[in-house]
Amino acid sequence: MNQFISSILIGFSQGSIYALMALALVLVFRSTRVVNFAQAGQAMVSTYIGWEVINRTGSYWLAIPIAALGGAILAVIVQNFLMRPLSKRTSEGAIAPVANIIVTLGLLGVLHSGAAIIWGSEEKLLTSPVSTNGFKIGENVYPFSATDVLIIITSVIVMLIFAFIFKKTNLGLALRAAAFQPEISRLAGIRVDRVQTIGWAFSGAAGAVAGVLIAPGSYLNPYSLDILLVFGFVAAVIGGLDSLVGAAVGGIVLGLTLSFTSQYVGTALTFVVPFVVLLVVLLLRPNGLLGGRSSRNA
Amino acid sequence: MHNHHRRRLIGFAIVGILLFLLSNRVGVLRLYQGSTVSMYVIAIGSIVLLTGFSGQISLGNGAFMALGAYIAVLLQTYLSLPLVLTFFVAVLGAAFFGLILGVAAARLSGPYLAGTTLALAVALPSLVNQFPVLGGEQGLMFNAGSAPEWLGEVSRFKWLFWISTLAAIIACIGIQNILKSRYGRTWKAVRSNSTAAELSGISSARSKVLAFVISAGIAGLAGVVLALTAGTVAPGAFPLSLSFAIITGAVIAGISSLLPGSVVGAVVLVGMSQLVGTFTSRFQMGDILAENLKELIVSALLILAVVFTPNGPGEKIRAMREHRKHHSHGGVR
Repeated sequence: MNQFISSILIGFSQGSIYALMALALVLVFRSTRVVNFAQAGQAMVSTYIGWEVINRTGSYWLAIPIAALGGAILAVIVQNFLMRPLSKRTSEGAIAPVANIIVTLGLLGVLHSGAAIIWGSEEKLLTSPVSTNGFKIGENVYPFSATDVLIIITSVIVMLIFAFIFKKTNLGLALRAAAFQPEISRLAGIRVDRVQTIGWAFSGAAGAVAGVLIAPGSYLNPYSLDILLVFGFVAAVIGGLDSLVGAAVGGIVLGLTLSFTSQYVGTALTFVVPFVVLLVVLLLRPNGLLGGRSSRNA
Repeated sequence: MHNHHRRRLIGFAIVGILLFLLSNRVGVLRLYQGSTVSMYVIAIGSIVLLTGFSGQISLGNGAFMALGAYIAVLLQTYLSLPLVLTFFVAVLGAAFFGLILGVAAARLSGPYLAGTTLALAVALPSLVNQFPVLGGEQGLMFNAGSAPEWLGEVSRFKWLFWISTLAAIIACIGIQNILKSRYGRTWKAVRSNSTAAELSGISSARSKVLAFVISAGIAGLAGVVLALTAGTVAPGAFPLSLSFAIITGAVIAGISSLLPGSVVGAVVLVGMSQLVGTFTSRFQMGDILAENLKELIVSALLILAVVFTPNGPGEKIRAMREHRKHHSHGGVR
């Protein structure tokens, strides 16, 4: 019973980080039909920005918004100076269907090695502002800590902000319209280009928060967030890749699956589980558990 | 048709003989670099076939290389199979795993396939550490043997160069024949318009699976060659950046150009590594910095190649010429 409750709690805390990363991927995919494999790199650079902030000011609380801002700016730069010119240049030939994917990969490589040159490839430690020791109830120590509570609360706040923007503001309406029907949105007077850039900025911020949240539990090096990219992608696919709610649900589902398998089967399977989950979802429910409108061959 | 075929084979034979003669005249470093070029040629060939022709993308070909290498080294370590046989079984084994993934891949496209193969590339090396039989981080020794006696005294590096070059030439002949056959045409048809291809009786799913299986097998072969030149098989030899490097090599000279594309790409990769090495040792930078600088340049090159010559320099030149013609003839073609 103890083990069971722990699995659920850990599943939620890790899952909410995956959900943020999935959200980052989905935001970009919805607005520009690109799966941004450089998201791991952008989140990693933003996390280093957060690490610098903690180093200089000692405040983890300041690190979260500044890293998010840094991530957003980085994403805007990437979209404006790389992805937008790219889509105009690679509309034909054998490269056309894969150009986006290849370029985001190249960007991931640039960010990896660039960060390694700037910050070195040895591991950095981001100390959590609250205890990482498990809660004690009576005799039992649960592996669930104050840091996990912090992770869940922060993720929920970020998601609520996004939900508010998307559902209640004109900007949110424009974002949804531009993702749904770019041509018609343009005719309706929405500046689709600008709205797409805002989508990328939000995505960069979400990825940055995911990075800053996961870093205290693990170490930070230029490659340490690659696995988060895989988890985020799997979570996004579980949710259908173009649904924001789906991304959140997908993250939690993946988090729970991972925490239960590591509790009851063993941690050896951590890297295999997402791969298996991904294949099963793609083969059985190709539009995600919640079901989207477009097919996988988009 | 037959004439074409024969002429191609003669071309390959001449190249082979030239390389053989060359191998007696160059130093150990060049021989090692030559083996690495051969390895990259095979690996890039697997991407050209898959992406340039069948229009699918795999970020996991580094993982298939690892699979091939591990199958070969396991067969040698535990069953003491002869080298030639380990090659065959490794290719078949990698192709078999390609089949499993390919069946899923055929239903996916673009980003989904990329993500799935990326997950594979990330998952596979970490699996290695879970099974002691695979040798952990240290890896397993892979022995290339030595040249048969009747060839006289042959140094280790020359022997490795011969094996890997022969493997590359055979792979190129094989890939080129497939690409010129009806399968190659089928892949192109499905890539450029899958609906039209289906209407003319092509099963697009089957054609995609076939491309995936063959590509995985070729990647497996490249993995064995990589393992041979390194002398060991360890998870560290198959990082994500290997998959990136292969894709860079494939993109530089045009994603659908096997020859000379894959050779140009491979030479650029190896030459780049040498240039960066010279540069960093000249300015006495550390090994880690050199390694990162190399990765930075390769990745930047990948981006620049896609942005400025999306379908290779050949295509770019053709397009420019056409553009000029178009203008000078006042729009009459």
